[in-house]
Amino acid sequence: MSTNIVIIDYGMGNLRSVQKAFEKVGYSATITRDHALIKEASHIVLPGVGAFGDAMKNLNSLGLSDLLHVEILEHKKLFLGICLGMQLIAEKGYEFGEHQGLGWIENAKVIRFEESALKIPHVGWNEMNFHNPSILFKEIPDHSNFYFVHSYYFEAPSTYAIGQCDYGHSFVCAIQKSNIFATQFHPEKSQTHGLQIIKNFAQLTKESLC
Amino acid sequence: MLKHRIIPCVLLKDWQLVKSIQFGSFRTIGHPTATVRVYNARNVDELIVLDIDASLNNEPINTEIITDMANECFMPLTIGGGIKTIEDVYTVLGAGADKVSINSEAIKRPSFIKEIATIFGSQCVVCSIDIKKVDGKYKVFTKKNGVLDIDPLALAKEYENQGGGEILLTSVDREGTTLGYDSELLKLFATTLHIPIIINGGMGKPEHGVEALQNGADALAAAYIFHFTQYTPLMIKEELKTHHYPVRLS
Amino acid sequence: MRFCTKCVMPDTKPDLHFDEQGVCDACRSQKAKDFDIDWEARKKEFLDIVKKHKKNKYYDCIIGVSGGKDSTFQVLSVLEMGLNPLCVCFEPTIPTEVGRQNLSNLNQLGVDLIHIKRNPNVYKSMIKEAIKRVGDCEWPNHLGIFTTPAHIAVNFNIPLLIWGENSELEYGGPAASKDNACLDRKWLEEFGGLLGNRATDMLGVNGISEKDLALYFYPEDEDVQRVGVTGLFLGYYIKWDLRKILSSAQKSGFSVSDRRVETTYENFENLDCYSNHVHDYLKYVKYGFGRASDNACLDVRLGYISREEAVRLVSKYDGIPPMKAIGEFLKYTGFTHAEFDAIVDSFTNKKIFKRDTNGKFIKDIDGSLVRKEEYIVH
Repeated sequence: MSTNIVIIDYGMGNLRSVQKAFEKVGYSATITRDHALIKEASHIVLPGVGAFGDAMKNLNSLGLSDLLHVEILEHKKLFLGICLGMQLIAEKGYEFGEHQGLGWIENAKVIRFEESALKIPHVGWNEMNFHNPSILFKEIPDHSNFYFVHSYYFEAPSTYAIGQCDYGHSFVCAIQKSNIFATQFHPEKSQTHGLQIIKNFAQLTKESLC
Repeated sequence: MLKHRIIPCVLLKDWQLVKSIQFGSFRTIGHPTATVRVYNARNVDELIVLDIDASLNNEPINTEIITDMANECFMPLTIGGGIKTIEDVYTVLGAGADKVSINSEAIKRPSFIKEIATIFGSQCVVCSIDIKKVDGKYKVFTKKNGVLDIDPLALAKEYENQGGGEILLTSVDREGTTLGYDSELLKLFATTLHIPIIINGGMGKPEHGVEALQNGADALAAAYIFHFTQYTPLMIKEELKTHHYPVRLS
Repeated sequence: MRFCTKCVMPDTKPDLHFDEQGVCDACRSQKAKDFDIDWEARKKEFLDIVKKHKKNKYYDCIIGVSGGKDSTFQVLSVLEMGLNPLCVCFEPTIPTEVGRQNLSNLNQLGVDLIHIKRNPNVYKSMIKEAIKRVGDCEWPNHLGIFTTPAHIAVNFNIPLLIWGENSELEYGGPAASKDNACLDRKWLEEFGGLLGNRATDMLGVNGISEKDLALYFYPEDEDVQRVGVTGLFLGYYIKWDLRKILSSAQKSGFSVSDRRVETTYENFENLDCYSNHVHDYLKYVKYGFGRASDNACLDVRLGYISREEAVRLVSKYDGIPPMKAIGEFLKYTGFTHAEFDAIVDSFTNKKIFKRDTNGKFIKDIDGSLVRKEEYIVH
């Protein structure tokens, strides 16, 4: 299947930035919520900025949760979740109440940074430290800086963790579970290294994961 | 470790990027596309652009230029100027901005900050306050209405309570002067606020950046220094690094 | 768009200010030049400064030259005063035949001339990057023509650098700069047309490293101070009138073009480089005024034409794409027409120029952009 990148439009987040980043590294990407177009994709990107509960509501009402279950878990299409898009693949999120996530990462939940001397939201450039090797980080040096902007973080066993970040404590900031990739930081806003991640994702094929 | 950010902060006027001096005269920085490309080449951490045509002259928000600039930006872009309603926020973010900066409208109704934070998240809202010292006291200042009898610290605290993500503090007295940031102002705010503080107005040399971080700033906004002196953002960061402040160098 | 009520300069010119009568500060400066300045005293002041700064046994000063009418005039003026200048030419981007002849003519006025032939690969990489990044194909040249004489000054121990006109005075600029007799590093960074870009911003472009930029960094402060490098605008000490300067230069062998120079109506400026015409065209698309406007405004201020005539000339000549120069530029850079057009489009002023319903800029039969009604010169 030739590369066909789709960016899910579920009413949350700056989708054009993500599209632009793919264009910058030489790939076109379609922004859509159309089920038929999503079914034709080889690569699916779920970005997002905003609240967990609102996001899940939108995904559910647009029928996208079910569609993504099929496309990603059954058909094993390549998936990249960004920021809120990463948080949504947890089992539960606790922003303004308890909400069900997509549940693709077992025992993962999204909780708020504790109040401490450090300011919330966690906003700015911070280092990602490699945890397990991943093809997503090809040509990226360890301890590279990426742009983070979030008040809630992904708490999960480190089974699928490929990158960790330190803000008061270490937390998982990038994961890979087979065909499912996700980053808490915004690669489309992280200049050179961020664009490299976008490129690496676009260049993935199902075969390259084996 | 979270890095301290260097953020060029410029004004959009008549489809050009400009820098003001103490909120009075303007110096032209240049064409928006050219300027953003230079910042991109310099790997700056973020960019803030405030549309003064929209804010002062009630002109419609210039979505075309926002999109042109956003198309060149692979770092976060904050847009401010004339944002009065939730629809305006949708417009600006839809045009390509990552965050919005709110100033005049929030003075009128601080609850606007909460409205935006609820829909888009706190991290999307930068609360901008312009401050002037009058008779030894700091007061809120707006270009349109001049000095207001409002305590800027109380206002900032209110914004924090409403869910603002960051505070952008601009010293009217220091802006464009290259005399250094207002340390006294910074110290006052840094001891009280729990959200990140971006200090703006007055940076003339790298040492000023060090001083500002020592006084509690989280991020440094500037523009005059980058266009009208030999100092580049990298030189500022190297100076900060020498003083053991974490900065992003590559 | 406002136009000066005396000349035809628009308010889109960066840092130009209009007073309550709608007169621009360049026109006000001209008035000062005509009536308020004691040019004899200024000339004496200049000679005193030269005497004070002489360090090198043989040379009194350095003149950065191109071979154009201005640098020819500077050399003539300085020779007339009995001084011995060392001339430095940072070669143009795409030299023309008449430009080469004029440089040779300048040399034959009887001066030593250092003709700097820089690393062409590094230079070309910067030209191509600069036009894409800041919409100015002459950016490395703006830098090089100032930094290389400064390097010669430091290495030959000749403190005094003589420049021509203070462009801020002649064309208008922030008040802080207009009274400047001096051009130093700070002036270069603020007013030298660098558009915020610095030499260090070119590191990494096509593999450019620090040593490749040796000529483009201004000399170290300690060396500048040790030698006492001082840049002076001759235009501060001698009344600058472009047509009188031309006449003077021509009498000494300076050649003009046999036809109108592209981008304007006259035939005696910008003769030495094709890339300069492309630069002027880019200025036009960005700000809505080009070389023809600059020339017309100067001619009005100097009393050679009326404002009405200026409006006519600007309407007729400003903004016509310089096709020959663009052709040479494409040959030099290897850009295709499409690539070049895309670059120009990205800098074209959307406020001033008309677009069709698809957002594409509308062009006239000669390829000129079409101005919206309210932006037509009047």
